[in-house]
Amino acid sequence: MGLNKLFSQYDNREVRNAYMFLLPVLLVIILFILFPVIGTIYNSFFKVLDVGGGQSTFVGFGNYGQFLFDAQYAPRFWESVKFTMMFTFTTVIIESFIGLMFALILNESFKGRGILRTVILIPWAIPTVVSAVMWKQIYNSSFGFIKWLMVTFGANPSVITLGDFQSAFWALVVAEIWKTTPFVVIILLAGLQAIPQDLYKQGQIDGAKMFRQFMKITLPLIMPVLTIALIFRTIACIRVFDIIYVLTSGKWGTETLSYLGFINYTVDLGKGSTVSVLTFILSFLITLLYIKFGKFGKSIKA
Amino acid sequence: MREEILKKILIYAGGLFLLAFAISPFLWMMTVSFSTTHRFLVEGGFRFTWDNYVGIFTQSQFMSYFGNSLIIAIVVSLIVSLFASFAGYAVSRMRFPGRIAIPLFVLAMSMFPQISIVGYLADLFGKMHLINTHIALILPYIAWTVPLALWINMSYFTQIPLELDKAALVDGASRTKTLVRVILPIALPGIFSSFLLVFIGCFNEFLFAVMLTSSPAAQTIPVGIASFSGLYGETSWGMVMAASFIASLPLIILTLIFQRYIVQGLAAGSVKG
Repeated sequence: MGLNKLFSQYDNREVRNAYMFLLPVLLVIILFILFPVIGTIYNSFFKVLDVGGGQSTFVGFGNYGQFLFDAQYAPRFWESVKFTMMFTFTTVIIESFIGLMFALILNESFKGRGILRTVILIPWAIPTVVSAVMWKQIYNSSFGFIKWLMVTFGANPSVITLGDFQSAFWALVVAEIWKTTPFVVIILLAGLQAIPQDLYKQGQIDGAKMFRQFMKITLPLIMPVLTIALIFRTIACIRVFDIIYVLTSGKWGTETLSYLGFINYTVDLGKGSTVSVLTFILSFLITLLYIKFGKFGKSIKA
Repeated sequence: MREEILKKILIYAGGLFLLAFAISPFLWMMTVSFSTTHRFLVEGGFRFTWDNYVGIFTQSQFMSYFGNSLIIAIVVSLIVSLFASFAGYAVSRMRFPGRIAIPLFVLAMSMFPQISIVGYLADLFGKMHLINTHIALILPYIAWTVPLALWINMSYFTQIPLELDKAALVDGASRTKTLVRVILPIALPGIFSSFLLVFIGCFNEFLFAVMLTSSPAAQTIPVGIASFSGLYGETSWGMVMAASFIASLPLIILTLIFQRYIVQGLAAGSVKG
C-alpha cells in the first residue's frame, strides 16, 4: 500500500523512459567497475599463480594476514603505506600554497594575464607519462639539467639527483606538483571569480589593507573551494602510479600502494587483489576523514 | 599608493615565476629533442638536428602508438558523450525513483582506484582473448570516464529552463526528440567540455593501457613512450624527447584552442562534486 502510494506520484511511462536513458551508463559502470571490484575482493581470498586461467587455491584471509602481519611481506606493505602518505601530504600541501598563489595572481587584471592563464594549462594537458619521462631526463645524475645547475652553483660533482631515497622523494614530489598544480589553479580561480566584487569595495571603504583583505574576505570565502580541490587531489595522489613507474620503478623506497599492487599482480592475482582492496579501503577512509573535516570547516563559517 | 606599487611588484614577480614554472621543463624537453646529443650540458657542443624527429617516424612504432591512442580516445569520447547526454537529461529533468541515488552511485563508483579494477579485467580479458585489442581499452575507459561526463552534463542541463521541455512535450514531441532537438543544441558547449576532458583523459591514461595491452598493435602513446626509455640499452634521449613533444602537441593545441571549454568543464565537474 505504502509502496503503491509512493510510486503513484510517478508517471509510469516517464519512469520507464528515464531508466532507458540511464541504462547505458549504469550498464558500463556495473560491468566494468562494480563487477571487477567485487571480482577483485573475491580474488583476494585466493592464491592464483598464473594470471589468465591458472589454477587457484582458496586461502581465506591468508593474503591479508601476510601483508598486514607477516614478517616477510608486511614491512614492504607498511613501508609503501607510509611512503604513499608522505608523498600525498607533501605534494598536496605544497601545491595548495603554490596553486592559491597562482590563482590570486591570475585573478588580478594586468597585461599578459590572458597568456598566463593559457600557459598554466600546459603541464595539465601533457600526458603524465610524458611529463615523467621529461623529468627523468632533467633529473639524470650524469647529464641532467638539475645536476648541471647544482654543480655550476658549486655543489659537489658527486651529488646524486635521482638515486637515493631523499633525491627520489623530492624528484617525485616536484614532478607531481608540476603536473597537477594547474588543476588546483583552475578550481581556485573559478572560486575566486565567484566572490562578489562588492565585498572588496566595502573593504576598500573600510580601509582594509591588501593583506587584511585577503585574510578577512578572500581566504574564508575560498576555503570551501580549496577543500574540494584538496579532496580531489588527495584521492588522485593516493593512487599515484604513472610517475612512479617511469621515474623510479619503486626503487629507493618509493613504492606506492598502486605500484605494489601492480608488482604483485605480475606474480599472483590473489596478492595483487589483496593490495588493491587494502588500497581502496585506505583511500575511502581518507575521503571520509576529509568529508568530516569539510563539515567542520563549514560549521566554523556558520 | 605604496600599497599599489607593492601589489604590482608582487603580481609581476609571481607572474614571471608562473611562466617559468609552466614552460621551462617543456622548453628543456624541446631543446634536447633538437640536439645531436643529450649530453651537451656536460660535454658541450649543442648542435641542431631534425634527426630525432626523422628517427621516431622511421625507426620506431610511434605511428602505431599514436594511431591507437587517437582511435581509442575518439571512440570513447563519442560514446561517453552520447551515454552521458541521455543520462544527464534523465537525471536533471525527469521524475523517477532513484533520481538522487543513481548519480550518487555513479559518483561513488568513480572513487575506486584503477588498480582495484584492472587486475580482474586483465584476468577476464585474458580468458576472453581480448588482451591487446582496442576493445580491451575502450570498454574500461568508457566506464572510467562516464561519471565525470555525467557530472559535467548535469551541471549544464540544470541551467536550461524546464519550460523549453514543457513546450516541446506539449507539442507532442517524445522525450528523445525533446533531448535531441531542443536541449542538446543549447547544452552543446557543456557536452563539448566533457568530450574534451574525456578525450584528454583517455589519451593520457597509463595503468589500464600497460596491463591490458602487450604489443604496438594495440598499445597507446603513454605505454610506447614509457617503453622507449631503456628499450635499446642506452636510452636514446633525443628520440624519447622528440616522441614526447609530438605526443604532447595535439593535447596542447586542443587546450590552447578550447581553453574556455576545458576550464569550464573542470570547474563544473568539481564544484558539483
